[in-house]
Amino acid sequence: MRSVFILVLVFVLIAVFGPMLALHDPTQINIPNRLSPPSSDWLLGTDALGRGILSRLLHGARWSLGLAFLISVIGLCIGTIMGLIAAQGGKLADWLIMRTTDTFLAFPDLVAAVVIAGILGAGTGSLIFALTVTGWMRYARVARGIGLSLQTRGYVVQAQLAGASPLSIARWHYLPSLMPSLAVVWTGMFARAILGISALGFLGFGVQPPMPEWGTMLLDARIHMRSTPLQMIWPGCAVVLCVLAINLTGDALRDTLAEQDHLA
Amino acid sequence: MTKVIAGLLLRASVVLMGTAIITFALLWNAPGDPAFAIAQARYNSFMVSDIANQIRSEAGLDGGFWMAFQSWLGPLLVGDFGNSLVTGRAVWPDMRSAVSYTIPLAVLGLVFGVALSVPLAMLATKRPGGWLDRGAVAIASLGAAIPAYWLGLLLILLFAVHLGWLPAMGARTSAHIVLPTLTLGLGVAASLTRILRSSILEARNQPFLPALRRRGVALHNLERNHVAPHAAIPVVTVFGLELAFLLEGAVIVEVIFARPGLGSFLVSAIEARDFPKVQAVVILTAALFVTVNLLIDVIYQTLDPRIGEHDA
Amino acid sequence: MLSVNRISVRRAQEMTLQDISLTLAPCNTLAVVGESGAGKSTLISTILGLVPCASGQVTWQDAPVRQCRPALVMQEPRSAFNPRLSLYHSVSEPLNAVGKEMDQHRLDRLCKRLEIPRDLLWRRPTEVSIGQAQRVGILRALIGEPPLVLFDEPLSALDAVTQKHTARLIADLQSSEGFAALIVTHDLGYAAAFADDIAVLRAGRIEEVTPAQNFVERPQSDYGHQLREAAFTLGALEHVG
Repeated sequence: MRSVFILVLVFVLIAVFGPMLALHDPTQINIPNRLSPPSSDWLLGTDALGRGILSRLLHGARWSLGLAFLISVIGLCIGTIMGLIAAQGGKLADWLIMRTTDTFLAFPDLVAAVVIAGILGAGTGSLIFALTVTGWMRYARVARGIGLSLQTRGYVVQAQLAGASPLSIARWHYLPSLMPSLAVVWTGMFARAILGISALGFLGFGVQPPMPEWGTMLLDARIHMRSTPLQMIWPGCAVVLCVLAINLTGDALRDTLAEQDHLA
Repeated sequence: MTKVIAGLLLRASVVLMGTAIITFALLWNAPGDPAFAIAQARYNSFMVSDIANQIRSEAGLDGGFWMAFQSWLGPLLVGDFGNSLVTGRAVWPDMRSAVSYTIPLAVLGLVFGVALSVPLAMLATKRPGGWLDRGAVAIASLGAAIPAYWLGLLLILLFAVHLGWLPAMGARTSAHIVLPTLTLGLGVAASLTRILRSSILEARNQPFLPALRRRGVALHNLERNHVAPHAAIPVVTVFGLELAFLLEGAVIVEVIFARPGLGSFLVSAIEARDFPKVQAVVILTAALFVTVNLLIDVIYQTLDPRIGEHDA
Repeated sequence: MLSVNRISVRRAQEMTLQDISLTLAPCNTLAVVGESGAGKSTLISTILGLVPCASGQVTWQDAPVRQCRPALVMQEPRSAFNPRLSLYHSVSEPLNAVGKEMDQHRLDRLCKRLEIPRDLLWRRPTEVSIGQAQRVGILRALIGEPPLVLFDEPLSALDAVTQKHTARLIADLQSSEGFAALIVTHDLGYAAAFADDIAVLRAGRIEEVTPAQNFVERPQSDYGHQLREAAFTLGALEHVG
């Protein structure tokens, strides 16, 4: 769990302080300087409009990482609430919520996100909506599964007998047991959100220019693939590094939890 | 057992109906007046309010949600996907030709991915923790982190631009399918390797295996009769997930490589606000999903009747 | 007074309890004895309102039994507490649920009688012994002054010495706090020594209900006889007279 916190901290630091490290304004257009190779002034070179690539990358973290964080956390909240209602609310609520989850899960992630973002009009708002709506279900399933298995525990029965409200039971008796598993799911969803944001950006449906989101940067770079191929490398590397870091952390977390389960 | 399968069928039908409603509702609630947008797209003119009204009644958009939903669903159930609001032609033929580009790509990508991952996983698990195993996990993790569109672009850069060995854009010749397949297949291989590896290791750890070994059962028999089937079970579920990956990958890969498949079909339909086409693609993929998952659930039941109904 | 009126309970296509009727007067103790699988736990769950009856009703003073907030002491003390919370937190739960404040005097008094050191309450359930955990379970059951307390095999998880001690504590508390106790147990010796009446449960039906003293001397049913003989053989009961 600790490594997850460290990871989140590092990312937050990058997103918040990264832009300050940028030497140049990421949106300032500087045509004479366009498509120049890496130099001492522009560490990674400039793009087609003369904007510094490194600066854009650093600012882009806010979009690619920050938005992903926001989206995955919103999904976490919605999914957990739905899962707990399904577990605590009786057979009918359970059935309804599970069928709803199944229905939403029937749409392939990206296809649905592209359709939603495309229909609602490209932009950050529809991006957030699209990725959240396609992302809450996994949390709900996990929360429901664990919640149901906890129903038969002695202390939950005691709480129900005592007349504790479902909210109180959820807060004290379910959530602490849910958190480790939800954290593992969250790491996966965080990575998925980063990939989703950049994919939609690459397709033109996501964060709009001049915002320096990494996927959008790749879209710009693609046009100049033959002349300045290097431009394509950097945004992709940024995405890969972040996703890799998150996946490795998630794996480590999952392994630790599995060990604890075996010992318990 | 039939009871369980009947339950699964019921679930699947409920879910399918739900997806149909959501698909329709999404486009119903799109901002802007759909009739207006269509008029613009079709006639490319600006004084379109009369035409918009005409289109509105034509497309059945004036009777409220449930009426419009029914007039869409009815024909759909007999395979009529309606007509494109832009070209006026039927949706299905165009979609079918788009699908005919996507299916070979998806199949080849899957085959390539499996061909790569199965031997790799088996080799890696020969010595768990050895350098081959660790290397395989590392590469697979890396592969899972690489976005398909970036991989595609890099492959184009290397093989098409730099080396000039393979073509990049379009789908004219069979050589055109190589790079897209590579892109898709490598992604499939990455996730399949990880899952296969952990499921083989888990199957090896089954508690009754050492007992069988001591009784003298040969190792290769053990592998064949006890490890392999057990390892196969999670792979069946994974197949459902890989389908999702393939579909999404296909969308992106087709856009990058300018292949006229389902992905490009969808993206251009969205940009043109051609609703019937968009609805058709969405409901088709959703129905495919639900059906595949239903089949997987049924197969599960036959493979391992122990797996009861855990959820509602 | 607890009135269990002809209840039947169905679970998984079977009638787990059939046509059960019991009464329990305030401040009295009723022991329900029977072998495993007879339906004792289902009976407890039904009386507490956790499991619905197919027919019949359970009332306390002619009102639905949940209204008097009956308490339960479970068989396995450690699983009766959330391992992540302090014992104090768990003990306060019945009061928090109804918005009452903890009466510290009452808490002190009960702790003394149950021989629980105050600072023990700040520990987690895994940090105390089973005997201590069980007594804290009794503390939690009594903290809200319930008129009815159910005990599900309260001594089974304890060693012999602790068993006697805890049984004594429960009986003493009953006379001072004044609650009606329904004790489910397979221990005929315990039932005979501490209960006013004994009800024999077998395969979901009540075989007999007799005052405890009479049961030891002369059980009314064949099955009751068998149980008594078994208890004598094992030394759990001693021949009287």
